[in-house]
Amino acid sequence: MASTLRSSAAARRIFAAAKPTTSAIRLLPQTRVAAFHASQRNQILPPGPQVVHGTVNDPVPVPTPSASHGSYHWAFERIIALGMIPLTVAPFAAGTANPALDAALGTALVLHSHIGFDACVTDYFPKRQYAKTRALMVWLLRASTITAAVGLFSIQTNDVGLTEAIKRFWRA
Amino acid sequence: MLSTRVLSRGLLRSARPRSTAFFTPRRMITTESIPASDASSILAAQRLLRPVSPHLSIYQAQLTWYMSMTTRITGVALSGVFYLYAIGYVLASPFGVDMSVANVSKKWGELNGAIKTAVKAPLAACFGYHFWNGVRHLVWDTGRELTVRGVYRTGYGVLGLTALSTLGLLVI
Repeated sequence: MASTLRSSAAARRIFAAAKPTTSAIRLLPQTRVAAFHASQRNQILPPGPQVVHGTVNDPVPVPTPSASHGSYHWAFERIIALGMIPLTVAPFAAGTANPALDAALGTALVLHSHIGFDACVTDYFPKRQYAKTRALMVWLLRASTITAAVGLFSIQTNDVGLTEAIKRFWRA
Repeated sequence: MLSTRVLSRGLLRSARPRSTAFFTPRRMITTESIPASDASSILAAQRLLRPVSPHLSIYQAQLTWYMSMTTRITGVALSGVFYLYAIGYVLASPFGVDMSVANVSKKWGELNGAIKTAVKAPLAACFGYHFWNGVRHLVWDTGRELTVRGVYRTGYGVLGLTALSTLGLLVI
C-alpha cells in the first residue's frame, strides 16, 4: 500500500472521494473508486470491522488437523441425527410415551440443537472480525444449552415427560 | 488517473537532460513515510468502501441453496421454541410463574382455534421439512444422490413429503 500511494493523506483523499463531495471548487480531477466496481453497493448489513492480521501478502495459515474438530465431530453429528429418526418416529408409531425413549430423545435433541446453534455462531460471528462477540455468543449458547437441559430434565422427571408434553400442547 | 498523471509528469521531468548543475527541477511529489500500522488502517478504511459480498439477491434463486438455507432456518425455529420453553421452565418457576406442561398447555388450549392453527401450521411445516431434509442429508452422507439430478430429485421429494406430513400433523 505504502509504495503505490504516496502518502496516507493522499490515500485517504482518494478513498474518501468515493463518497459524494459537497465542495463547490474542485481543483483536482476527482477520482472515484466506485467506478472500478461494476456492482452496486447493495448490502444486507453494513460491512463489519475490517481486521488485517500481518500483511496482505502473507500466505493463508493452514490449521493443524484435528480429528475432534473434523472427522470425529462430523461422525458424532451424523450418529445423533441418525439416531433421532427412530426416536422421533417411535412415539408416533407406539402412541404412548416411554420414559427410556423420552430420555434418549431428549438427550439427542439437546445435543443436536447445541451443535446446530454452534454452527450458526461459528458462521455468523467470525472469530477474526468479532472476537469478543464470538466469545460472548459461545458462552451464551453453552449457558442456554445447560439451562435448557436442566429444564428438560425437570420436565422428564417431575412433569409429564417430553413426548407427552408435545402431545398435550399439540392436542390442546 | 490523478496518480498516473502526476507520475508521467514526473517521469518527463526526470527524462529532461540536465544542462546546468545549478538548476534543480522542482519536485511535484512529496514523500511521507508511513508506519506499517497506518498502512493497515488505510487498507481497512478502503475495504469498508467496497461492495459487500456476498449479497443474497445477486444469486439466482435455485432449489439447492434455498433448501439448504431453509434447513437451518427451520432447525433454529424448532430448537428455538424448545430452548425457550425449557429455559423458561427453569428461570420462570422461581418467580412464581407456573410453567408446568399442564398449566401452559391449558392456557394455550384456551386460545382461539385460528391462532392455534396459525402457530401449529408453520411449526408442523418446519418439523416436517427439517426431518425429511435431514434424511436427505444423511442419504448424501453415504455418497448417494450426490449429482445435480439426484439433488433436484430428492429436493422435490422432500418438498412433497413436507407438504404431506404438514397436513398429517395438523389433522392428528
